[in-house]
Amino acid sequence: MPVFRKPESIINTAGYCGGCGHGVIQRLIAESIEELGLQDHVIGCVDIACSFWSQDALNFEFIAGPHGRCAAVATGIKKVRPDATVYVHAGDGCSYVIGLSETIYAAIRDVPITMVVVNNGIFGMTGGQLNLATTLIGDKTLSSKAGRDPKTMGHPVDMLKTIANCDVAFAARGALYDVKHIDETKRYIKKGFQNQVENRGFSIIEVLSPCPTNWKLSPVDAMAKIKNETEKVFPVGVYVDRGGKD
Amino acid sequence: MSVDYVLMKGNEAIAEAALRAGCRFYAGYPITPQSEILEYMSVHMAKRGGVFIQGENEIASMSMLFGAAACGARCMSSSSGPGFDLKQEEISYLSAAGLPAVLVNAMRYGLGDGEITAGQDSYWVSTRGGGHGDKRLLVLAPASVQECADLTYLAFDLAEKYRNVVEILSDGAICQMIEKCVLPEPREHDMNKFDWALTGKPREARKNKAYNLSYYMGYEAYDRYMREKIESMFENEQRWEEFMLEDAELVLVAYGISSRACRSAVRQARRDGMKLGLIRPISVWPFPRRAFAGVPDSVRGYVSVEMSITTQMGEDIQLATEFSKPLYAYLTSKEIPTVEGIIAYCQEILAGNIKPTEVL
Repeated sequence: MPVFRKPESIINTAGYCGGCGHGVIQRLIAESIEELGLQDHVIGCVDIACSFWSQDALNFEFIAGPHGRCAAVATGIKKVRPDATVYVHAGDGCSYVIGLSETIYAAIRDVPITMVVVNNGIFGMTGGQLNLATTLIGDKTLSSKAGRDPKTMGHPVDMLKTIANCDVAFAARGALYDVKHIDETKRYIKKGFQNQVENRGFSIIEVLSPCPTNWKLSPVDAMAKIKNETEKVFPVGVYVDRGGKD
Repeated sequence: MSVDYVLMKGNEAIAEAALRAGCRFYAGYPITPQSEILEYMSVHMAKRGGVFIQGENEIASMSMLFGAAACGARCMSSSSGPGFDLKQEEISYLSAAGLPAVLVNAMRYGLGDGEITAGQDSYWVSTRGGGHGDKRLLVLAPASVQECADLTYLAFDLAEKYRNVVEILSDGAICQMIEKCVLPEPREHDMNKFDWALTGKPREARKNKAYNLSYYMGYEAYDRYMREKIESMFENEQRWEEFMLEDAELVLVAYGISSRACRSAVRQARRDGMKLGLIRPISVWPFPRRAFAGVPDSVRGYVSVEMSITTQMGEDIQLATEFSKPLYAYLTSKEIPTVEGIIAYCQEILAGNIKPTEVL
């Protein structure tokens, strides 16, 4: 009978809130790395927001640099340590707002790294402000208390479509609201690492992830919101799979 | 034995000396008057097995450098004026994580976009700047193409010795002039030699983290470490050149391109019977305070010669001399100071027609 084990790369608890998706994503990253046998040569790149906790939890070397610059920092690392498995675990504020340029240019350069973006539609670490790229229309945040109004704050943007304009190896979006979607997200993340092993180019996996604390919902209701609202704006699935082309 | 001179631009000498020092990562964004550094690296870096990246902007270039520096590579970036402003964020992060890096700031004149011509008004952003937080950059100011090469070569060693950012503070004249130069010997750098670098270690090994040193050392130990490091740099890294100080009545203080006009002015003035001397800071941080201890009693005042609107270095001269003598400032803004101009200004000082400068 299969035994459900904790990946050995997880060596510590992390500081995530109850019901947060970051811990699940961190685990999927650890599982993917171990299943591909890569855990002895990994450099992780986290942002100085919620994903930062991952560097205390996982038994890898880590770098945490300026907020939003993860894709550029990881580019510098991969260029001088091309044999290492280099990945980014960062939020949607880092990857799509303050660091959108860094993310897009990592895609344009087609740097063979694996970038995992946590789309929870809010600035979590700073207490729950609007995310210009991902907060849904009407959602109330600390900086949009009457709800996001597209007249003044614009619309959320499907950044994977933007990234799909670049010639990248892989771009996909998963979600965490049920086991089926967690399994699918895991396949995407593992594919992102497999691409790196084969030096295929830039892989980005966005994950629709709950932030019950700042959404002010129970963990169960937060999952329901993703299924009923978020996924309608940000459809899951594969956006780019370049396959064998190098 | 013959010495192999080459004729080079200051910018090229910086780039070639960096490569010979084992620099194998460069990222930067074009800006006059230092784009030749980026262009030189784009041609020659790959031949030495290194990485050249033209960044999408200064911030991204520096973030890439941050990653490469954390891996132990010898790294360089370069810019000027408004471009160097954009590097401040990562200078603070590099300093927080104790990562070595060499940056070049080829000063151009003016606020905002300013002008693309030479200036020296980035003294404060270099000696006081580097983003938020408490740290010091080692700042070296070459006054010749030879020094562009020598100080850049040295900068990589100093950066690693102190795990600190080192800045080469050149200017639009020094970086653009062509002079003869003897290049240093090429050497290889082992990016695996550090116990702090990210290498991607196996599961049983102790892992390194590139982040605020304070997070891992604890704040008390970190404060002590930083204080001791800054004191050590201040004690050991003061560099300067003295020229005809004995019996001087007025001592000129100038670095970079201005110091070259000052040297000629000292010679010319002495032929005409006016006793000038020169202190040329080579390190502007640490400012060479020690140089001022040996100045003779004959000195009636100091003259800071700078290409700026107000004196920036004057404050450091006042601190070095403990306000013991009057300070004057000959400020030429976007023009390179002339020998005649410097001499005429000094004559007016000695004739009592110029009031000492207030450092504002």
